[in-house]
Amino acid sequence: MTLSDLQLDALTEVFNVGAGQAAASLSEIVGDEVLLSVPRIQFFDRTDVNAEMLSLQGGRLGAVRQKFGGPFGLDATLLFREEKALEIVQEMLGSQVSVEDLVDFEHEAMCELGNVILNSCLSAIADMLGVSLTSTLPEYSVDGADTVIGKLMSDETQPVVLVLHIDLTIEKRDTQGYLVFLLSSNSLEGLVAALDAFLSRI
Amino acid sequence: MPASPIESLLPWSMMVDALNTGLIVLGPRGEVLLWNAWVVRHSGIEAQAALGNTLESVFDNDLSLSFISALKNVLTYKLPVVLSNVLHRTPLPLYQRPEYAAKGPQVRMPQSLTLVPVRYDSTSADGFLVMLQIADTSSFVKRERVLQSRTEKLSREAVIDGLTGIYNRKYFDQKLAVELSRAQRQKNPLSLVMLDVDYFKKYNDTYGHPAGDRVLQAVVGAVQSQLNRLSDVFARYGGEELIIILPSSDQSGATRIAEKVRQAVLALKLDHARSQVADYITVSLGGATCLGGVVCTETRFLDTVDKALYAAKHCGRNTVQWLSVSDTHATGGYVGNGQDPPASNFYI
Repeated sequence: MTLSDLQLDALTEVFNVGAGQAAASLSEIVGDEVLLSVPRIQFFDRTDVNAEMLSLQGGRLGAVRQKFGGPFGLDATLLFREEKALEIVQEMLGSQVSVEDLVDFEHEAMCELGNVILNSCLSAIADMLGVSLTSTLPEYSVDGADTVIGKLMSDETQPVVLVLHIDLTIEKRDTQGYLVFLLSSNSLEGLVAALDAFLSRI
Repeated sequence: MPASPIESLLPWSMMVDALNTGLIVLGPRGEVLLWNAWVVRHSGIEAQAALGNTLESVFDNDLSLSFISALKNVLTYKLPVVLSNVLHRTPLPLYQRPEYAAKGPQVRMPQSLTLVPVRYDSTSADGFLVMLQIADTSSFVKRERVLQSRTEKLSREAVIDGLTGIYNRKYFDQKLAVELSRAQRQKNPLSLVMLDVDYFKKYNDTYGHPAGDRVLQAVVGAVQSQLNRLSDVFARYGGEELIIILPSSDQSGATRIAEKVRQAVLALKLDHARSQVADYITVSLGGATCLGGVVCTETRFLDTVDKALYAAKHCGRNTVQWLSVSDTHATGGYVGNGQDPPASNFYI
């Protein structure tokens, strides 16, 4: 199943609204301007996604994961390179704490950052598509890139992968990350049906 | 799941009050439906006063802005939210001992919050409650602080010489590399002064090693009294050899400092009966300058200053000798030939 250009455009638009809300929430927390955008989204088959393809090979990745439920299920994970995650936390703390000393803070702060971004994106979808979603609490893990992505893609019941590239700017420092959504075939159908219903309304 | 006998034994409200963690349950419009004993203890507000009211009114608008918008999001979208202690120190006005409020202003308890919406009726938009869980993170914050201050202490100790309290050789080596590359990049002169206590072995043999240690400490104090720039780096190079990095200092600046150090040590008037140059403890100093724009390795720089110190020893001790790094003699080892150093390089 593939999405039409119109459906993809609509979805990109929704995620950008979500990213805008996430940026506003983060700016409030950090007390500084945070910019967040989703320049492009792509659909993949589970077996085609790997660290190399996402240009995340080598090094370690930090991953914040929440499982969303509702008319369609979404297994959502926010991915950042670990050193980028530490830089983001450092910018958010805005203190003189050195990156080496940040490891203790990283877990909590990244959980919250992921929570804000994931909730904002999914709230925007829920708003636009007129659906109601549930979610688990965010979980944060750090591991080698291949391990993180391999584990993520191991679920055969969720063959569809929606990858969003994220641009996060705090204090003029630019960071790239990924939002990866895993969907079952049924969930994809549910999402597409909701998108079509939305497009027919406008 | 098999029925647990607990429900008939212990009412859930007693369980909730026995928790050593904060639990507030809110209805779909944010009204308080449950306020456990922990929350009473740390807010100073009785459950009766809180029930049925929103948190804004219960806490008298004393909530953080980020908490208010997080709560609004939870009530609107029914998605769980975490507020970490890292980014929100104290979202709610909770205290260790609110009953002490009369004695003066109190510090809010550091806390981390989890807001979890729980749906009990999926057919109704209002069929959900929000469980607000509050964890007291004081002990984490305290442990974090202890660990951080220990880390700082350890990293400080790793570069400090135990006897004299100045930097050790390890730190000096790192710092010299940094300062040298900086000086060459910025085309600034960089000077080194190496000094050594005269007839120190004889002093130790006469007065004992504990006395020798005290002399070394006193000499260090005298040197420090002459260094007044934060950028100067003073280290114990080894044994009784001390070394100073003087950034942005040329020959005249560095030799002036070296001469002041020599006089300050002499002025301590520490008796040294077996010194052959004075009745007191004295030092010999060698200096070397690497001029801006001149390529110079650390090895060559150290080699030069070492030769300058050797020259100072050779021409009678209790004196300052200076060598230029670019001086061809410096690597040729003219001192070893027994020649007198050129007069222009001679400072007393």
